[in-house]
Parts: sequence; C-alpha cells; structure tokens
Amino acid sequence: MTYVKPLPELTHEDRPFWEAAREHRFILPRCRDCGHIWFPPYSSCQKCLSFDREWIEASGRGTVWGYTIMCQPYVPGYADEMPYNVVLVELEEGPLLYSNLVGVPDEEIRPDIPVEAFFDDVTDDFTLIRFRPRNRTGE
Amino acid sequence: MSKAEFSGRTAIVGIATSDFKALYGTDPERTREDLATHAIRDALDDAGLKKEQVDGLITGGTVHYEPLAYRAGLTDVRFCVDYPSAGRMCPMALMHAAQAVENGLANYVVLFNSLCFRSNQVKFGMGGGWMGTGLLYDSVYGMASPGAQYSLAFTRYQHLYGGTEEQLGAIPVAFRKHAQLNPVAIMQNSMTIEDYLAARYIAQPLRLFDYCLVNDGAVAYVVTSAERARDLKQKPVMIGGTAGRANFREWYVDLDFWADACASMKRDLMDPLGVGTDDIDSVQVYDNFSVSVLWGLEGFGFAPKGQGLEWIQDGRIELGGELPINTSGGMLSEAYLQGWNQHAESVRQLRGQAGPRQIPDCQRILYWGLSALPSASLLYVD
Repeated sequence: MTYVKPLPELTHEDRPFWEAAREHRFILPRCRDCGHIWFPPYSSCQKCLSFDREWIEASGRGTVWGYTIMCQPYVPGYADEMPYNVVLVELEEGPLLYSNLVGVPDEEIRPDIPVEAFFDDVTDDFTLIRFRPRNRTGE
Repeated sequence: MSKAEFSGRTAIVGIATSDFKALYGTDPERTREDLATHAIRDALDDAGLKKEQVDGLITGGTVHYEPLAYRAGLTDVRFCVDYPSAGRMCPMALMHAAQAVENGLANYVVLFNSLCFRSNQVKFGMGGGWMGTGLLYDSVYGMASPGAQYSLAFTRYQHLYGGTEEQLGAIPVAFRKHAQLNPVAIMQNSMTIEDYLAARYIAQPLRLFDYCLVNDGAVAYVVTSAERARDLKQKPVMIGGTAGRANFREWYVDLDFWADACASMKRDLMDPLGVGTDDIDSVQVYDNFSVSVLWGLEGFGFAPKGQGLEWIQDGRIELGGELPINTSGGMLSEAYLQGWNQHAESVRQLRGQAGPRQIPDCQRILYWGLSALPSASLLYVD
C-alpha cells in the first residue's frame, strides 16, 4: 500500500540522520568544538556556529515534555488516524523533538512520562523514530 | 535618545478598519489591493489629511508598496518598507513608522495590512517548513502548527500548575461578549461557557473557539510627529514605545510559556516610562490562540505565575472588570487582522470613540503578541 503521509526530503544537513534511522540507529549531531548537541540536525552548531559536527548515538531515552491530540485533518495522510497524539520528547541528551507515543491510550498520556525510542519502518526507504513508555527503573 | 525620551514624540493620528462582518464570506473577485486602498483612504479622512501629504509607506507585506503606491497615486513617497506578512509585525511596523518620523525620513507615514485569507481559501495549520527546506521534523509525525504547538504547551502548563479547560474558556467567552458590542465584529452570536465546551477539539485540549478567525479585511493607520498631530482632526494617541524579544526555539512551543520574553519586553517598554501593570487600563492581545492571553498576563505580571486561569475568572477581563482585554472581540471574535485590528481598537478606546464598549477614562493600553517573534506596544493619551 502506498504511504501517503509526509516524508522528509533529504538534504546535506539531515541525510545522515535519516539514513541511520533506516538502519535502526538514532543519532544526533554534536559539535566537535563546543560539545553542544542539537536537533533538528542543522549543519552548524546552534551554540558556536561551528560546522565541525560529529554524530553520536542517542540513548533513545527521554520524557514527554507536552502532548496534543490532533482532531483536525491538517496533515495529509493522517485524517484516517484521528484522533492521534503528537508528543514533544525531551531527550536525555538535551534536544527536544516531535514524535508519536505508541502503546499508551491517548487519554493516559501525561507530561513527564518516561519514554524510549523505537524504529518504525514506514516505507522501504524511511524509518521514523517513535516512542513508547519506558519503565522508570528499566534504564 | 533613550526610550523614555522617545516616548510620546510620535502619534497615531488616523485609523481605519474594514467592516469585517460585511466582508465575511468569500468573494473570488475581492482583492487585498482594494481593501488596502479603502482603508488608507478612510484613515487619511479620519486624520484630516490629504494623500498628497503622505511621504512614508509601510506595508504588512501582502500588498507591496510599489503596486499600492501606483494604484493610490502616492507620488511623493520618500520612505517605503514591506514587512514580512506574518502575524506579529504590527508593533515592529509601528515603531518603524515612529522612528522614520522622529528621524526626519518622513512626515506622514501610512501603514496598512490587508488580508484575503477567506476569499483566497488559505489553509493554515500544516506543519513543516518552519526549520528550513527539507527538515520536516513535525509533519512526518502528523504535527500541525502553530495551534497544535500552543495546545501542546498548554498540556505542560496544566501539568505544572493545574487548571481546567473550562477556566480557559473565560477568555473566548469574554471576547465574544465584547464582539457583541462591536457592529463590525464577525462573531456576533452569544457564547456561553457551555457553548465553548461543547465545541469540537481542534488540537486537544484546545477547541474551535480557542482558535482565531480566518477572514478578509484591512486596517490602516497614519503616524506623524506629536507636534504635527496637534493640528489634525483627532485627539492624538501617543506611541509610548514598542518592544520585541525573539528566542526562536522549538517553533512556537516556548518552554517557559514566554515568561522570559514578557519580562524582557516589560523591562524595555514599561520600566523606562515608570509604567506598571496598575497603570494599564486595558490590554489588547494578539489572540491567535486563547492561551496567548493567559501566558502574557502571567509574563507581564498582571497575574501570579501559574495562577492565570484563576485570575481571569468572574469577569475580570471583561468590560466593566478590572482589566478589560480585547474590547473589540479580538482575533477570536472580531477579525484576524494579525494584531492590526487590536491597535485600531486601542486608538478608539484612547480617543473615547469606542461607543457602547468604551472603557471610562482610558489612558494607557498595553498590547502583546506571543509567537515566534514576541512583540509588545504601549499607546497612551496625555
């Protein structure tokens, strides 16, 4: 079946990120000059503007900063899933990223829930990083 | 020149707004150029100025200065600027006009914003694109923007401070009451808190009436020096100042609910003038979403941090209450003119021309908008 939801168009900035996800690796850019870790993967450091970045393996662990339940078909391909959740995850490494939380009924989602990343192969070429609850002590 | 010295040296001397209600609905032949020209003509009439006197032109970006100046026969313009067509530029455009006048770049600056969102069937809310080309880190997960982002931040706010959706409803309900006193406001039907709660969610916990309207219309102002203003038709409304504070992080999800940004704008805008929250007679807010009112009230220090939802209850923000907010109905109930209609309302209130919704002895009005570029302004009359 054809995947009709939005997919990223790869650029020189984020190709490594998405290619790693396809291999089920969650990587983040880190500045070789100042050590800052940032997201989305711009080609330069948001702190010191260095272009010398390296990629580190993210722990995949984080917590839900906030969430919303989408009830309006704004985004192509998502209409059939409504209502669905979107969470903003605060990663252990610092950056925040949008994703979906899987494995919890929407009405039970709360900020500060500990979560962990997993890989969702949505097409042959693209893997999205989604999250599921993690046991607070199961780190 | 310090901010305190700059304050009061320029004034808004003419305003005009479209009849937003009459324009509600779609007309494929309606143009932003026509709406803008109409508003500019009316604003000049309001000021008692001829268009030949206009020598500065600032646009809200949807109609560029060049085609507008041709169409309107503005043949002696010395200063032109197009602002980006974004819903947060009104204080910036106003300060630019004031600076141009103060620095002798122009004597009479016309500013306008003109929108045909409804007739052009513009769709809002799609995610993506916020971070630059190719970096689609929101819409791949079904995230829309920016209402969904405010909604997401509100879940965090509730987690930290409590408060209910019913309490939030005091904002749209208050603005609807104000709109019912404004013949050009689009939303004239009464709305109770039950009506608010019965409306569907758009991005839960925000509902339909937490979102601003999408409509057509235009607003224009004329700005000149305080000195020239004395000879014109209307009571001058002084530009006290404006402030902005952008942090550009997380695309509308401000992690402290704009507390830092508001405190900074307050320091820039109010402190130099010795104006405190108690001196403000009304607030006009860029109510793209209801929560912008809540967070600004806390950020500027009207309400204690985390207690804004309690603070706004029992008519406190309604006409007749302690701090009337968005007295024309705001963007939730009057019209979405990207904050330009709120400034027009401020001018009416400060002149004493707001009719049935007039705030008695209204002398100082604070405006704020909380978005990617938070901004604020202070207008007053002597």
